[in-house]
Amino acid sequence: MHFVCCIKQVPDTAEVKIDPDTNTLVRAGVESIANPYDVVALEQALRLKEQYGGRVSVISMGPPQAEASLREALSLGADKVILLSDRLFAGADTLATSYTLSCAINKLSHEHPVDVVLCGKQAIDGDTAQTGPGVATRLGYTQFTYVVAVDWINTEEKQIQVRRKVEKGSEVIRGPLPALLTVELELAKPRRASLPAIVHALREPIGAWDGSAIGASPKELGLKGSPTWVRSISSPPAKIGGPTFDAGEDLAEAVAKTLDVLFSDKSFAIKLAKRWEA
Amino acid sequence: MDERFDVAIVGAGPAGISAACMLADNGVKTIVFERGEYPGAKNIFGGVLYGHDLAQTVPDYVDKGFPIERNIVESRLWYLSQSGGYSVAYRDQAFFQARKFNAFTTGRARFDRWYAEQAKAKGAVLVCSTVVTDLLRGEGGQVIGVRTDRPEGDVFAKVVLLADGINSPLARKTGFRPEPKPEDVALAVKEVIALPEEVIDERFGVESDAGVTIEILGDVTWGMNGVAFIYTNKRSLSLGIGANLLDFSQQKVKPYEMLEAFKQHPMVAPLIKGGKPQEYTAHWLAEGGYDAIPRLAGDGFLLAGDSAMLFNALHREGTNLAMASGRMAAEAIMEALGSGDLSRNGLAGYVRRLQSSYVLKDMAKYRRFPHFLQDHKELFTTLPGLASLAAREMLTVNGIPKKAKQRTIWEAFRRKMSIRQSLRFVWDAWRSVR
Amino acid sequence: MAKNTKGIEVAEIISDKCIACQICIGECPVAAIQLTAEGVARIDPELCIGCGKCSESCPVDAVLFEKKKKRRLRKEERGIPPEAIPGYEGVAVFIEISENVGAQVSWELAGKARELAEALNSKVMGFLLGSGVEAIAQDAVAYGCDEVHVIDDPQLEHYLPVVYGKALADLSETLRPEVLLIGATHLGRDLAGVVATHLRTGLTADCTGLAIEQETRLLLMTRPTFGGNIMATIFCEHKRPQMSTVRPRVMRPPEKDEERKGVIRHHEWTPPMVELPILVELIRDSADAEGIDIARSPALVVAGRGACDPSTFHLLEELAHLVGGAIACSRPVVESGFMPYERQVGQTGKTVAPKLYIGVGVSGAIQHLVAIQGAEKIVAINSDPKAPIFKVADVGIVGNYLKVVPELIAQLKKRVG
Repeated sequence: MHFVCCIKQVPDTAEVKIDPDTNTLVRAGVESIANPYDVVALEQALRLKEQYGGRVSVISMGPPQAEASLREALSLGADKVILLSDRLFAGADTLATSYTLSCAINKLSHEHPVDVVLCGKQAIDGDTAQTGPGVATRLGYTQFTYVVAVDWINTEEKQIQVRRKVEKGSEVIRGPLPALLTVELELAKPRRASLPAIVHALREPIGAWDGSAIGASPKELGLKGSPTWVRSISSPPAKIGGPTFDAGEDLAEAVAKTLDVLFSDKSFAIKLAKRWEA
Repeated sequence: MDERFDVAIVGAGPAGISAACMLADNGVKTIVFERGEYPGAKNIFGGVLYGHDLAQTVPDYVDKGFPIERNIVESRLWYLSQSGGYSVAYRDQAFFQARKFNAFTTGRARFDRWYAEQAKAKGAVLVCSTVVTDLLRGEGGQVIGVRTDRPEGDVFAKVVLLADGINSPLARKTGFRPEPKPEDVALAVKEVIALPEEVIDERFGVESDAGVTIEILGDVTWGMNGVAFIYTNKRSLSLGIGANLLDFSQQKVKPYEMLEAFKQHPMVAPLIKGGKPQEYTAHWLAEGGYDAIPRLAGDGFLLAGDSAMLFNALHREGTNLAMASGRMAAEAIMEALGSGDLSRNGLAGYVRRLQSSYVLKDMAKYRRFPHFLQDHKELFTTLPGLASLAAREMLTVNGIPKKAKQRTIWEAFRRKMSIRQSLRFVWDAWRSVR
Repeated sequence: MAKNTKGIEVAEIISDKCIACQICIGECPVAAIQLTAEGVARIDPELCIGCGKCSESCPVDAVLFEKKKKRRLRKEERGIPPEAIPGYEGVAVFIEISENVGAQVSWELAGKARELAEALNSKVMGFLLGSGVEAIAQDAVAYGCDEVHVIDDPQLEHYLPVVYGKALADLSETLRPEVLLIGATHLGRDLAGVVATHLRTGLTADCTGLAIEQETRLLLMTRPTFGGNIMATIFCEHKRPQMSTVRPRVMRPPEKDEERKGVIRHHEWTPPMVELPILVELIRDSADAEGIDIARSPALVVAGRGACDPSTFHLLEELAHLVGGAIACSRPVVESGFMPYERQVGQTGKTVAPKLYIGVGVSGAIQHLVAIQGAEKIVAINSDPKAPIFKVADVGIVGNYLKVVPELIAQLKKRVG
């Protein structure tokens, strides 16, 4: 079995501070971490390898800082880690990213046929959840998103059964390999690397592939291969304190004015009147 | 793990990294453990660092792009009562040019990360997200390595440097440092308030790369032995206030309430007006001074920085003492490694170095200062009000002759403090900083 | 200011001034800045999106950037005619089925699609996939679709991405809409990535705002990004359809009009020739009435230090019930033992994002405020006019809660029943 895991390096949003006045997050510093969902995907890949045998490869597309995540993966037990790094990759939207990743997975597949690709449900910086389905579609793999459990893999008949979240519950579904899974956080609790493994991984060279190494067509990569572009960037509207009314003067009027302010937002008033139904 | 190191350092803060830089620079095989996800993740400090100590380990820190908020060119000292206060300020052209970066404000997470990168570049091994849970001992009780919370997490090292801060569970567990007494620890809270750069420039009368520090005493600490500060960052102000832990626990004051009140003070409010709170943190400080310093060296181990309670309460210097002590620890370790004597005796060069440097000289000089503060609460209770009364009366033009005013002030003073008390205060104050 | 090939005005670094502090590198949301071998930062103009974050963060003013309030592309700059890509017409909405009826979000999108179609002087199409869905097709017309295109096939009874993906991509290729909107539900987000990849077009996830730029006919899609720190407006110039998933409950649903007339057209299709996954079991979440999770409650009435009196909690319960929410509290109430920790809002408790937050006697210490950032509306009731919570509240009442809350309940009942 060949398990491939895709890891994205993201800004550490847990370290982000909230600006209480503008109701926005302040991105301070330069700290970046492995996307927590992807770390769970790696854990699941390692468990599957332990259960069914085989190998785990990890790929990460991004700037050289992504190396840290790959070293971590190496220390956790990944057999091969590859940094996908090329100036041409930069500025990719999800279409170009899924193209790049699928090229890399194809290349890995030539070395050892790939059975399962595991990715996080989404990255905590963009929250798009589009890259996984994109990769699955390009590769023609069976797609299982929002996976909360992997029930079994039948290595003979090349089948996998998973449990995945759906809108009002969950479903158990099985399908043919190769498959791509995007995973939820509750799927598995990531393990910790042993100290010797960490120190060892710190000294390992990290393999890197560029666009030509994965046989990608330059016009489908990065910015050139991205149909969506950013037109403008703005801060969300700032939140500032609204009016206050003194109940000491006229209680009924203060309350009435308060409700007037609240109900002046019509869509809010409608939602409240309907008691927030979906 | 099987691999052995010459030195294991616990904590990738300023003390640990200073040592790591120096050791790695000299080819000593060094491993550093940090419990945070990255250096600085768990660290908090007021915000001021000093170029002198940084230059000792990274001489080309300016070229290496050290993270800086503002270069400090002016220091102010405030003595505040409830309604007003005294301000003394000193600014010097030297701090703009010849002594640039003598002191500068910086963000701790950013600085620590940068500093650790320098150590890594020199060859030290840095392992993050790893807690050192215990020390490994040889048959004679000497320290021979550390135990971490990782699988296969034991590491043997010839010398262990404990630089894991004041709130060190390891120090507690190993008993190398007695649990600090409440009166030797201060609890400080800090809030960072965002303001536009130009507003800060204007309110503090500086150009945007220059900054100001304000150290504050008085009844802003509600009669407790404590201090407050305001530091200018690029686009924010750091406001902090802290007091002795014993006082906090006796008076049942919530530190953040005190901070909120501090922000309302008539001298403070205009400086932060319109600002947005960005982050809020709390921290312990080792305030016991010279007498609270534990044994700094033992068989196979040393203590540096906050772990060693090295903190100059009067001058609010902690980070630079940490950096200096880490550096001296590294020198002593290299000396011991050279001689092969890793016992307390062999490592005694560390204490010698500290004693002959400003680190312990300053702390010895102010040895009595913590006691003075703790014994003379009038500094935080009656005196601020009296001092303000004196200035207010003398400055108010209301037709009363100055002589009469002086009498009023003197009488008010006498009501609050006897001659004997006053003399005692002045004598103790002098002795504590002599 | 310099422009890149896309016409975006980009930032530039003045090498002489740069001190290589790397702050901008960390701030740049698109990783367009790198440190060069010469030890200065350099911005890649093709990656730069002109957000100006580097300029704001530069400590030495080494970034050349002028932030403009609103930028409009001139026609020459755009390089493409307003009629955009020929052969594509209409705004399509994927009609999702939930519990055998059209999902609410689909009707919200139908309403939005109507607005966009008017701006484009075009039509609204509903794309409907499923088995036995005639009634839903009628509903789609009633909610504003001019045409409803249906693939009705037993194979589409259950959602499978590979099957639905092909069906929707096929419909899009046949009908060639300019815009294709999909609800950002579990199903919609799973499906949209598949369809966009089949069509090799751009897809913008989880949008909260959609508009047509008149002069270019482009769909401007706005979404929160980088942890909600900034709103990005995204467009897709050279590929069609312009695809977007849209957050539920953001757009207002239109009135249902049973009298509306529209065309319902059925389409033949070929299922994908691959081995399909098999649905083994569907497990539905059972509604749990008791275990209230305050983090998920749409409305919260939060008792603070100033209302730390269990004998008055029934008042707050009544208010919470009236607004369809739950009762929660700040730290002092838990410390007093009057409410369990599970109900605590704050830095050491839970972070909440209700639609309505009513703080009763909550002063608003920063540890509490950081945990209620996501609340849509904040109402504060406190006897202290200087309580910090008033600074973040949308509206506040200064007064004794024992008097204010009953009055609030009475008046709310009159307004919302």
